[in-house]
Amino acid sequence: MSKMILKDDNHPLFNTDQMFFKEFPSDFRQIRYFTLLIVQKAPPEIKELNLLEQQISELIKNAVKHGNKSDPDKKIKVWYYFSQEETRLIVEDEGKGFTKIDEWNDFNAKRQECLKNNDFEKLADYVAYTTEESDYHDGGNAMFAALEFWNEGVVFTEKANCVAVGKTYPKKQKGITIGE
Amino acid sequence: MELKIMKSNDIYIIDVNGEMDLYNSYKLKDLVIKMLDKKVNKFIINLNNVEYIDSSGIGALIFICSTLKKSNLHLYISNIRGSVKKVIELTKLTGYLPLAGTVQDALELLKKV
Repeated sequence: MSKMILKDDNHPLFNTDQMFFKEFPSDFRQIRYFTLLIVQKAPPEIKELNLLEQQISELIKNAVKHGNKSDPDKKIKVWYYFSQEETRLIVEDEGKGFTKIDEWNDFNAKRQECLKNNDFEKLADYVAYTTEESDYHDGGNAMFAALEFWNEGVVFTEKANCVAVGKTYPKKQKGITIGE
Repeated sequence: MELKIMKSNDIYIIDVNGEMDLYNSYKLKDLVIKMLDKKVNKFIINLNNVEYIDSSGIGALIFICSTLKKSNLHLYISNIRGSVKKVIELTKLTGYLPLAGTVQDALELLKKV
């Protein structure tokens, strides 16, 4: 059973206790700037060069571009929490929701099958997930990486205009182990 | 992002400098399309000086790789490292994209085709 995008209004990742909150206008030109405003709260140990920034940026971009269609009158809301052990993030937009989650999961399952069988010829049909709304700039691969990166899950609400993700980090061992 | 083109015999090396993100990755696609019009058929995309890539950047690499494969043309992507390597690994495309360690490795491989 491969990893899937979930739909669950009651998932613990939607719990906003202890989380910081920011609201942004749907300005496509400022997606990376908004991301930096959020990621600056993260301890350096979990930034993984700029990988955390990149993964957060993808979710903000989806909300601004695909959710709110870059409509300046629509806002995105972001809740976020960082510690050395954990990152949690919730991004909500005012759009109609990611209505094709089941189709995406089905597509991803076929993609995983190609990868498992090292069938790179067939994988060519599953390298990017695109819809009639995709454009020349869309990579169509952000959520494949998201499922791998966010090891605590990628969960949408039933309405699917709000996504929550989480990642935990292995505890750093302090000191040294002295043998018997 | 800045794109420089270098040439070694019939092999064209596109040196990408800077960040490949949602605002500029289309430039690399556009450049390759222009080069295809000029009948270039051996490409190296060198990512040694790329510190950041997002799904649009990965999308550009997928688009170029798929376009060239369909026309039986040749491509290697060299010097992926740091978070660029990490994003390609997360997207599980290390087996799909034609990766080479260095530009020199890519040149050697392309000389054989």
